[in-house]
Amino acid sequence: MNEAEAIFLFAKIWGAIGACVALIFLTIGIERIDEDADGAYVFRPLLIPGILLIWPLVLWRWYILADGKDEWSSRYKPRRTAHHWIAFAMPVAIILVLVLGLSQRQIWPADFVPQQIAPAAQVSQ
Amino acid sequence: MSVKYTPVQWNRNKWLYDGVMLIGVVLFLYVFLFVSPEILSHEFPINPQVHNARAFGAAAFVMLTVILCIGPLARIDRRFLPLLYNRRHFGVMTTFVAITHAGFIIDWYFAFSSSNKFEALLFANTSYTQLAGFPFEVFGVFSLLTLLLLAVTSHDFWMKFLTPPVWKRLHSFIYLAYISLVAHVSFGILQDQQNHTVTVIFIGGALCVAGLHAYAAWLDLRKGDKPGTEKDGWIEVCKTSDIENGFAKIRVLPGGDRVAVFNQDGKLSAISNACAHQNGPLGEGKIIDCLVTCPWHGFQYNVTNGRSPAPFTEMVPTYNLRLSGDSIEVQTQANPPGTYVEPVPLPDAKPQEVMA
Repeated sequence: MNEAEAIFLFAKIWGAIGACVALIFLTIGIERIDEDADGAYVFRPLLIPGILLIWPLVLWRWYILADGKDEWSSRYKPRRTAHHWIAFAMPVAIILVLVLGLSQRQIWPADFVPQQIAPAAQVSQ
Repeated sequence: MSVKYTPVQWNRNKWLYDGVMLIGVVLFLYVFLFVSPEILSHEFPINPQVHNARAFGAAAFVMLTVILCIGPLARIDRRFLPLLYNRRHFGVMTTFVAITHAGFIIDWYFAFSSSNKFEALLFANTSYTQLAGFPFEVFGVFSLLTLLLLAVTSHDFWMKFLTPPVWKRLHSFIYLAYISLVAHVSFGILQDQQNHTVTVIFIGGALCVAGLHAYAAWLDLRKGDKPGTEKDGWIEVCKTSDIENGFAKIRVLPGGDRVAVFNQDGKLSAISNACAHQNGPLGEGKIIDCLVTCPWHGFQYNVTNGRSPAPFTEMVPTYNLRLSGDSIEVQTQANPPGTYVEPVPLPDAKPQEVMA
């Protein structure tokens, strides 16, 4: 098994567990932790892809809400202060990536002879 | 706002927003595919599969660029706030366009391998130790997975379930996704771009996102909400004459929370500045018919008790207020969401203002 096959096996296992979590959460759990979901069924299939992807987070929040450990104050914490460093770091990263990308172009000068930079791709079998 | 969850909450504004967006996407694809192939380096013969892949890829990049410009633009100039209103639908549509791009690519470049085509995508190029010829596909895969994650967690249920701060942090991955997308293009198609119309659009778009975010953050640092100084559990917000009728003053509390103190017809009330929906800045909203309206998505709250009008059930915390001389002070400890607090009358409020 190569790395790519291992990654896809992991993704399949992750998705299978997520499917089990989705089945139980959407049929039994959701009504117990969210009164707005009581009697609302049509929207539930929309949640399946999300549960498949972040089922550990779903299990954690399900436990917190079902156990009454949810603190109301945590819902109102602003994130705008934390947003500042993103707003300054992102432009730096974008410019860095652009410069690096442009620096690797092989068409300057015009008479540059293209070079083989890597061996031919491997095969999986 | 919803009492019970529905698959998609539509209203006239959302139909209009989505309609304009859809027309824009179709127009972009039409121009890319049929109107101006020569300025997009398509004078060389390429098959329809690659042509379509490039069109949808370019559309996804432009859409994500526009999405990321909306936030800082709305902070710089409030006239852009309507664009923020239905940005989630914009994001979901971008995800579909990006998936279409990936589908065309995988079904052309990797579908003829004897291996699984998705596995072939990962092992076709493994030159991770060098910049030249770096496997740019992996940047695209990361961006696509992130867009997918954000799209599938875009329903209002997820915001309530995860809490708005966690949901917003999860959706902050969009910034990483965009950087990754810029890398995907820089180390991908840009390496072979002969005609520079697309190059200019790409670099211009990326620099636009970078510049707008830096400028908006710089403005926020200069003119943004100011922190208050705590004394015995209370902080001064402003002078009694500083709050215009119908509007609010915002202060940052010692713990980092923001409080919005409103003047409603000469009476003061304080609620959390963070909307229960997406933590939008309630203090930047105006009071209409005794309710403050969140400038982001239109959620409304009674400022005296922090509750949305029936039948809606959203609530935000309230704060106690007092006057100290000509200063307005707020207690740093919030009351539980929905707690009624008797409004504090301004000493110099004219009788008709109070009556109004």
